[in-house]
Amino acid sequence: MTETSRIRNFCIVAHIDHGKSTLADRILELTHAVAEREMRDQYLDKMDLERERGITIKAQAVRLTHQLDGTPYVLNLIDTPGHVDFTYEVSRSLAACEGAILLVDAAQGIEAQTLANFHLARDAGLAIIPALNKIDLPQADPEETAREVGELVGWDPQDVLRISAKTGQGVPELLRKVVELVPAPQGRREDPLRALVFDSTFDPYRGVVAYLRVKDGVLPSRSKIYFMAAKADSEAEDCGVFAPEATPVPELGPGEVGYLVTGMKDVHLAKVGDTVTTAGKHRAREPLPGYREPKPMVWSGLYPAEGGDYTELRDALDRLKLNDAALQYEPEVSKALGFGFRCGFLGLLHMDIVKERLEREFGLELIATAPNVEFHVIRGDEVIVVHNPSEMPPPGTYDHMEEPVVLATIVTPSTYLGAVLELCQSRRGELVDIKYLSPERAEIHYRLPLAEIIFDFFDQLKSKTRGYASLDYEPVSYQRADLVRVDILLHGEPVDAFSAVVHRDKAAPYGRQMVERLRELIPRQLFDVAIQAAIGSRIVARETIKAKRKDVLAKCYGGDITRKRKLLEQQKKGKARMRRVGRVDVPQEAFIAALRIDQKAGQKAGQKP
Amino acid sequence: MSAGLYVHVPFCLTRCGYCDFNAYAGLGHLASRYVGALEAEAGLWAEDWGGERFGSIFLGGGTPTTLDQGDLARLLARLRERFDVDPGAEVTIEANPDTVDAAKLAALLEAGYTRLSMGAQSFDQRVLDALERVHGPAAVRRAFAAARAAGHTNVNLDLIYGANGETLTSWRRTLEGTIALGPEHVSAYALTIEPATPLGRKVGAGLVPAPDPDLQADMFGLACELLGDAGYGHYEVSNWALEPRFECRHNLGYWRKKLYLGLGAGAHSYRDGRRWWNVRPPGEYLDAVEQGLRPVGGEERLTPQEEQLEEVFLKLRILEGVPVTSVADEVASGFMEQGLLRRVDGNLVPTERGMFLLNELVLELASYRRA
Repeated sequence: MTETSRIRNFCIVAHIDHGKSTLADRILELTHAVAEREMRDQYLDKMDLERERGITIKAQAVRLTHQLDGTPYVLNLIDTPGHVDFTYEVSRSLAACEGAILLVDAAQGIEAQTLANFHLARDAGLAIIPALNKIDLPQADPEETAREVGELVGWDPQDVLRISAKTGQGVPELLRKVVELVPAPQGRREDPLRALVFDSTFDPYRGVVAYLRVKDGVLPSRSKIYFMAAKADSEAEDCGVFAPEATPVPELGPGEVGYLVTGMKDVHLAKVGDTVTTAGKHRAREPLPGYREPKPMVWSGLYPAEGGDYTELRDALDRLKLNDAALQYEPEVSKALGFGFRCGFLGLLHMDIVKERLEREFGLELIATAPNVEFHVIRGDEVIVVHNPSEMPPPGTYDHMEEPVVLATIVTPSTYLGAVLELCQSRRGELVDIKYLSPERAEIHYRLPLAEIIFDFFDQLKSKTRGYASLDYEPVSYQRADLVRVDILLHGEPVDAFSAVVHRDKAAPYGRQMVERLRELIPRQLFDVAIQAAIGSRIVARETIKAKRKDVLAKCYGGDITRKRKLLEQQKKGKARMRRVGRVDVPQEAFIAALRIDQKAGQKAGQKP
Repeated sequence: MSAGLYVHVPFCLTRCGYCDFNAYAGLGHLASRYVGALEAEAGLWAEDWGGERFGSIFLGGGTPTTLDQGDLARLLARLRERFDVDPGAEVTIEANPDTVDAAKLAALLEAGYTRLSMGAQSFDQRVLDALERVHGPAAVRRAFAAARAAGHTNVNLDLIYGANGETLTSWRRTLEGTIALGPEHVSAYALTIEPATPLGRKVGAGLVPAPDPDLQADMFGLACELLGDAGYGHYEVSNWALEPRFECRHNLGYWRKKLYLGLGAGAHSYRDGRRWWNVRPPGEYLDAVEQGLRPVGGEERLTPQEEQLEEVFLKLRILEGVPVTSVADEVASGFMEQGLLRRVDGNLVPTERGMFLLNELVLELASYRRA
């Protein structure tokens, strides 16, 4: 156990791609935590998926030893997720720290996530150490960025550190500041144990592993413990620290950060934000503040492309859920797509990650319905929660509807201010305020319906600002909205998978877009097929796919019947992959393409360019 | 049951842009070696096929008439020596207008070639250009007249419709021009774009538009109408004959699943539920045969499902149809309501519209067939 006076718990917060993982790598090298030959880029991002996407979705904690003026300090570096989907997880990681490095790209300046993370860190009461990164780049503008950052955090721009995480320049000075400015943890050994869970994973051999920060008391290995929010008893089979590989320790004392192996089989018993205490009479009275149930914001139906893979999809979701406490799902049946699941995600990125893992790790081919938010249908005192547009009650049977609204922060070069305002207005936005970070850069706050954000907003924002604007948002409330359900009918049959809940003003354009898209995607059939968009019984758009007239192998002689048969067999396979909706054969690809709002909006929102 | 004998001649004067057959321009120097190899190959199969009587011989290509008339006469004589060929057998040779004259056509008749199949393709110069044919409409008329003068009384003209630039009016003129000549047999094919051809690559690259399937359907309808009015019987999706006796016996053999032996590069054979095919490149073919080896490149044995699919496919093509009792009632009645199938005696037979949607019919009827 280490004296709390020599412990510093800190994290790095930054906008995506401002160099957080590279800085972590340099810190690991500087503290000799990883032998040079074992060093690899983005060392802390364990999963392959994360490394490829260049983002971190699971917080990791690493314990480092750093000598400063002859005194050894223990530095616990807690890595935080860097995406708007995971704001709550970020807030818990921050709550495990006393300080944060606010890392800002000296060429890019402050971005939306810089602001969002700064506010989160400040709200968590952390000491904030601003640092400008990438000062070695020719296009870096450290003076201007230092002015912006100084203004934001209340520092003299002269004092803002200038570093290059790539070359290591300035990193030793930054570590010195961490030791000097980040307060040592408080907390007494004698108090009842309270440890904050800031992440958890499931290991198939060892069970649930919780990452935690001890606030008060001591957590010894082999002790009986209790998860306060989950109300679950368990045992600390093993405690340890990441140095940076897992290293068992006899106990974790106040201020320490490490892991706890529980042997529990269900990761939902060790949710982010929960408090671990001692079981029995030494149990703490009050849990640590700030626990919140993970709340899905975005819903989508996931269906196996091959109907028979339903059981495999269920098993795969069960397996993923072991590791992902935020993932929710319930079985649902679609007339068009068969048996599947309505899944709840923290956001579009979370949705894409889950989909990609299902496809990559479990070899499943999936059809995902267009993502939607959680709608509230108000009928008298009753609130009906709708996760699937096709469950929306018919018009006239309820009083009104409500939808989630977020507070969005957009940082953009002032040149594009007009374009951004126009976009937000067109998305039913309500301007809160505009601030200028500098004469060239504006920080805009808007209240926007979440449904508008998940519909192509980020791509539009990027394209209207040549990629310069950044976005962050947080949910604020539900608000009344004039929403209608648009149904798509194929040859007179409604296709539940294509139904969407949209604002009344946008219903007809949405219907027209879907109908036109489907006309391109659905092959001609043996009869004319009408594609219609309807609000209730009112048709708002219509297209016709004319009956096909030619489907024949013109020439069949010369004895090569084998080849003709193979062409037919190929065609037969294609037919077998279609789904019959009423009398119309619809290829899987049509479902996939029609339901895609745009090219992977979610990924773009979190991905490095 | 009589068998068919197919002989492949892979030589052409030039390659046409749409053609994906096993054919090569510029290999003329191999011609006499190749004829020798065909004769040798016949020897390799003769014993095995000794018990079969051949009711038809078909020289296809390529362009068989690129070979000289002496070779063609000798080849046919050798085949008759090697195999048991019916004296009244139908013996077809494919010809391009540019490779025949009156003397050659007379010599072919003399040698025993009873049926001439000529690649006319179109009477519209623009269409011939789009197909990269080297002959013009006049050459077709000239060659046809020469065939008649030589005494050929069983002549087929091949037509292709739907090339870039062809209109319904132009196609009508081609059909009328064909009917005016009065061939005993007409084959009219919807142009099919094969990816591995120069035309296929142009279409793939967007340089040439793909044929419009609706226009081709209209053209098919027009062919049915005009040829029907002129007295031609429609006996296969793409084939018409002036009288039943002019229906191509050899091709009917393929469609009726009679056995056939193929000689030459890439030729296909079928016997006892087994299909096999010769190696395609002429060089490889020559090497194998000259070493005294059967030049077989591959084979397959049909599974019952494959047999069934082929059977439905072929029976529908020649309008024989499938027994009503082999198809589920709701499937049959659905197609009849849509006007794609009609009932003839106890069989379901494609209508004119159904013929042009034959794949749909085949796939449905083969999968819903009753056990």
